[in-house]
Amino acid sequence: MSAVLETSRLGKRYRRLWALADCTLSIPGGHVVGLVGPNGAGKSTLLNLAVGLLAPTAGTIEVLGSPPAAGPAELARVGYLAQDAPVYAGLSVADHLRLGARLNPGWDAELARDRVERLDLDPHQKAGTLSGGQRAQLALTLAVAKRPELLILDEPVASLDPLARREFLADLMEATAEQELSVVLSSHLVADLERVCDYLIVLVGSRVRVAGPVDELLAAHHLLAGPRRDPATLPDELTVISSSHTDVQTTLLVRASGPVLDPAWTISEVGLEDLVLAYMSQAAAPGRRRRHLEVQK
Amino acid sequence: MTWLTWRQFRAQAVTAAVALGAFAILLATTGPSLASRFAGSRITGCHGGFAGGGCNSAAIAFLNRLAATTVYPAVYALGLVVIIVAPAIIGIFWGAPLIARELETRTFALVWTQGITRTRWLTVKLALTGLAAMAVTEALSLMYAWWAEPIGRAISLGASTSVFTGGRFSPLIFATRGITPLGYAAFAFALGAAVGALIRRALPAMAVTLAIFAAVQIATPLWIRPYLIPPRHTTATFASVQAVDIGTLAATVVPGHPGAWILSSGAVDAAGQPVNLGAVSASCFSQAPSGIKEGPSAPALWQCLQRRHVKAAVTYQPGSRYWPLQGIETGIFLALAVSLAGFFCFWRLGRRRT
Amino acid sequence: MIEFHLDARSGVAPYRQLIHQVRQALRLGLLHEGDQLPKVKDVVAGLAINPNTVLKAYRELEYEGLAAARPGIGTFVTGTLDGGPLAAHGPLRHELQRWLGRARRAGLDDESIEALFVSTFRSAAEEDIA
Repeated sequence: MSAVLETSRLGKRYRRLWALADCTLSIPGGHVVGLVGPNGAGKSTLLNLAVGLLAPTAGTIEVLGSPPAAGPAELARVGYLAQDAPVYAGLSVADHLRLGARLNPGWDAELARDRVERLDLDPHQKAGTLSGGQRAQLALTLAVAKRPELLILDEPVASLDPLARREFLADLMEATAEQELSVVLSSHLVADLERVCDYLIVLVGSRVRVAGPVDELLAAHHLLAGPRRDPATLPDELTVISSSHTDVQTTLLVRASGPVLDPAWTISEVGLEDLVLAYMSQAAAPGRRRRHLEVQK
Repeated sequence: MTWLTWRQFRAQAVTAAVALGAFAILLATTGPSLASRFAGSRITGCHGGFAGGGCNSAAIAFLNRLAATTVYPAVYALGLVVIIVAPAIIGIFWGAPLIARELETRTFALVWTQGITRTRWLTVKLALTGLAAMAVTEALSLMYAWWAEPIGRAISLGASTSVFTGGRFSPLIFATRGITPLGYAAFAFALGAAVGALIRRALPAMAVTLAIFAAVQIATPLWIRPYLIPPRHTTATFASVQAVDIGTLAATVVPGHPGAWILSSGAVDAAGQPVNLGAVSASCFSQAPSGIKEGPSAPALWQCLQRRHVKAAVTYQPGSRYWPLQGIETGIFLALAVSLAGFFCFWRLGRRRT
Repeated sequence: MIEFHLDARSGVAPYRQLIHQVRQALRLGLLHEGDQLPKVKDVVAGLAINPNTVLKAYRELEYEGLAAARPGIGTFVTGTLDGGPLAAHGPLRHELQRWLGRARRAGLDDESIEALFVSTFRSAAEEDIA
């Protein structure tokens, strides 16, 4: 599948601070892409650039082969759900659907109505009185009923309770399957993304640390435990992401381009959460105490 | 986008319709009786300027009778207030929140990622709401002009009371008649929208818009309107300019130019040099026959000044310039409105900043 | 129509769990040849997982000859497992029920029975490999 999002050395600066720097990505279509990183890492900046709410300071970005939001045709192909699902508090649910119908050429009114009915939303209720989960569902309806090719969601479940979170993600996956969407969603929690994402981008400190299909990443990263050793003595095929030492033992999380053959190491698989945490700690200031890695069974 | 603009504007539109309706009813219930009073006065045959003492006294009598009632002065004053205040209210409640609220509540992230471009969104919102603003204000002005016509005629014949005062060039009247309300409404609205786009929060934007608009509305009649077209100057005897106030000796008419707008009035000597009127008048006083309790009358003062070859120097705009001034001022405000909308709204919403 | 469930902590990849559950359903006689497997969108709506996971599982089942996709309609069961459905193993089931009765009479509780079975099963499997 061709790339849905392509950036080349993309950067965005506010006054003197680079919110995003040197970002080069080529995200293939047909996936649910998770963009994970701590707060302030640049996730929202990247997504805002992708939907045309911001313009780059450096580099280029292309979405579905065109500059973001270049015109009505490009706007119609991308659906967006902003952080905290903003809606017009004074407009009713039905008014929002009318908004979608009037502002989107490809609006599927039947799909929108079905969703609202299935979600048990009262069409006459003012959007300002909806719960957080209902607001997120309404915003998702607006994004999905315009029949886009790509759906971009900025921390869609961050402020939802666990049940609303699960329901939202299930609903999102159903729409993804039904409409064959490509999805990019961001979160600062890996747990949110683990179930639904098959492509991962880790963004820490305004830079992309790692990006790729989840099963490839999990296959390429290992946890090595063995006698105490200087990481610099490792072969070049192994890139150390994070390390932890006691007086007798060394534990390393490495990325390997091939199989690890040294029998001195006990090799374990790495879970997604530990992988992300390792990259986050790698990006942290040197001298910080390294987090002790849990071994995934 | 038309539907969305209307739907978001609905509450303000209803308020405006109710206000217009109430104002219309007020004028409709009092207007006919005012018109019949006017028909019954002896002014109807008179025309502009002091067309003889009979018209002047008829006008004075008419206005005094009106002033003695409670209804007509109240409606007259209320109308002026409403039309003066309408553009400001439009600027604050229609203009300032237009963009600021979308930025404040972050709904821009929803509406700018639908299927229309930001340019189209803004163009439709500004154009439709701006046109509504101009229509409402001009409607108020036209209704009121119809109602107050009799009073305006009486004033133009030289009558005035405490409430019914001010010719068509006076600041309040100039700003509430003709086409200037259109310009003010467009300017106030565009100013509000631009300030909102800059400040990004509705309440502060409302306050700033009010402050700037008020400042402009105060500055315009004082320092800008008089010089929109270079004023004319003339010198004449104090008698011919009817300087009836002994204290200021200000000209009240321009000979040969009835209905002129007098901007300033001073005195010059035979050589054309400015003269300290206070000193000269005082020297006229001191030569008054002693024992007379009242000071010299105005005509006596005029004669005295004429003997000393002191003339009145008047800066004025002829009455024929009323509509050109209206047009130029309205044009300037409309141009300001378009520039504000174009520069601040469209430029500010460019993608470098959000 | 069978319904899938997911054990997020089992360490087994989700798509493998789905395959396993289809095979179990075939053995237990819950699925027969010609039955339709749940639609991808219904599976993801119930489990909140990636559609590609379900597609991967169904593709693997196709590869194993157990299912076939009919474009636009769905995925259908086409094969059976060696050994036939469990329902056919009446005598084995009967023997197992008798053994369970004996284990209970010997005083074993549920956990102990399960542990005894699992450890015996595992050591027997290892002996088979070795």
